[in-house]
Amino acid sequence: MQLRKRRKGSVREQIAALSAGLLAVSGIPAAAQDNPYAPVSGVQDNNFGPGAAYSELDAALLVYQEAGGRVQAIEPSANLAVHGAHGETFSLGLIADAVSGATPNGAVPSDQVQTFLTPVMLSGGHATVTGASGGSTIISLPGIPAVRQYTAAANTLPMDKGFHDHRGAIDFNWSQPLGHISDVGFGGGFSREQDYQAISGNAHIAQNFNGDNTTLSLTLNTELDSSFPFGGVPAPLTVMSGALKSPSTRDKTQLGFVVGLTEVVSRRWLLQFNYSFDSQSGYQNDPYRIISVVDATSGEPTANLYENRPNHRQSQSLFLDNKFDFDPFVTDISLRYFKDDWGITSKTAELSERINLGRSFFIEPDVRWYQQSAANFFHYFLNGSDPLPAFASSDTRLGKFSSLTYGMKVGFNLTGRTELDLRGMYYQQTGDGHPADAIGQLRQQNLFAGTKAAFVFLEYTWNFH
Amino acid sequence: MSFLQSLRRGARFAVACLGLGALGACTTIGPSPWEKDLMARKEMQVSAYAPLKAADNHVYFSKEASSGGSGFAGGGCGCN
Repeated sequence: MQLRKRRKGSVREQIAALSAGLLAVSGIPAAAQDNPYAPVSGVQDNNFGPGAAYSELDAALLVYQEAGGRVQAIEPSANLAVHGAHGETFSLGLIADAVSGATPNGAVPSDQVQTFLTPVMLSGGHATVTGASGGSTIISLPGIPAVRQYTAAANTLPMDKGFHDHRGAIDFNWSQPLGHISDVGFGGGFSREQDYQAISGNAHIAQNFNGDNTTLSLTLNTELDSSFPFGGVPAPLTVMSGALKSPSTRDKTQLGFVVGLTEVVSRRWLLQFNYSFDSQSGYQNDPYRIISVVDATSGEPTANLYENRPNHRQSQSLFLDNKFDFDPFVTDISLRYFKDDWGITSKTAELSERINLGRSFFIEPDVRWYQQSAANFFHYFLNGSDPLPAFASSDTRLGKFSSLTYGMKVGFNLTGRTELDLRGMYYQQTGDGHPADAIGQLRQQNLFAGTKAAFVFLEYTWNFH
Repeated sequence: MSFLQSLRRGARFAVACLGLGALGACTTIGPSPWEKDLMARKEMQVSAYAPLKAADNHVYFSKEASSGGSGFAGGGCGCN
């Protein structure tokens, strides 16, 4: 009889994995623990949980495409996280994205052709545009800034075609246990695109209680954004034109915090509850977006004005997430309630069901439902016979609508150290394109500029010591 | 509602959450250490699949008025 030779180190690995399990609480490293179960020389150590020193490299690609020739985006990203044996974690992330396509400019459709003008910069004989170029005519005269003109056919939603932009972003985070405090840390980020820049910072503290079954956390976040739209920042509610505007830059600051409670309720149930508060102050307009002023009888557009939003915005949200592990099924149910002082409230519910099919393959269908009310300054159009309001925007994202997202993820655990995940989702907004207050020809138009989009996400994860 | 009023309201709520958490800490809710095998799995970690969650948040932030909840509001880009 041939006895199977016990693999050297396997017991140690199992004990180390069990130890990692004991320390695992909601992804936040538990208090510092010595890790006496170091890998034995010559044996592959696949212990990548809390309590083990290892690194994790993620490479990912997001491909996003809207229906109707609208926005498309490609976004590669990479993230490296280095975990120490005593709960220290350092992470560094890089993101790039390229966005192009057509985007609604905010004007209502008309039964006649509409023409729009916007400034354009010519450098070395070539047009440099963030707003658009495709489907446009560039009118250039010596000595003065060029003007770009584009049209919208009758009975079509006006689009600024050829929108394109590039973005690069970097972020880092550090966290570690400190004395009797389970976890403290800080991080920062920088993002830059052709007409926008964001600098952010954060700090957090977390404490485990109740045999590491309960974690309380507090995270502070701040962000400074600068908007420098091509052609300058337009004065609010002035007529759209091809003239250069001033100032060239406007800023926005953001302060917020998140209080979180994570509870391991039972062997199979993990619960997370967050309360978030956020305050934004400064320039919050979309500098390229306009709103139509229409004739009070015919509904025909008579002017296009640059939008205007309040300079201050405060929002709060409650978020509840539940994970249930009924091996081989893992159910994730999350709910969110959001409210801000612009009059917007929203509800979000998401359900995913991971089904492990063997040790190295899983599928995960996912569905998300979202519904929001309109901002109190949202209008599809302004009636020419009414006084001009202080704030007005026709941005569909500030209007009343609901959305549904559904799709599927498949994952392959390739080697025990590497995982490949692929997920495809379809997103569709639904809104009322025929409001009761539509005037004249607008009654025949669909005013809702909602989005239909498909996006695919590919992620490769590699753990190593 | 002024910023300070909202901040006070938020702070009160935060203190209430901390109180509830402290209360929870006094109880024996939750499994024993040797029952946390399932919690050690990647799919049960809150921070797992972070790049995918970040991509989701980026898409929804650029198409909807709400953001944050699981993390911060805002998106670090000019897409909204």
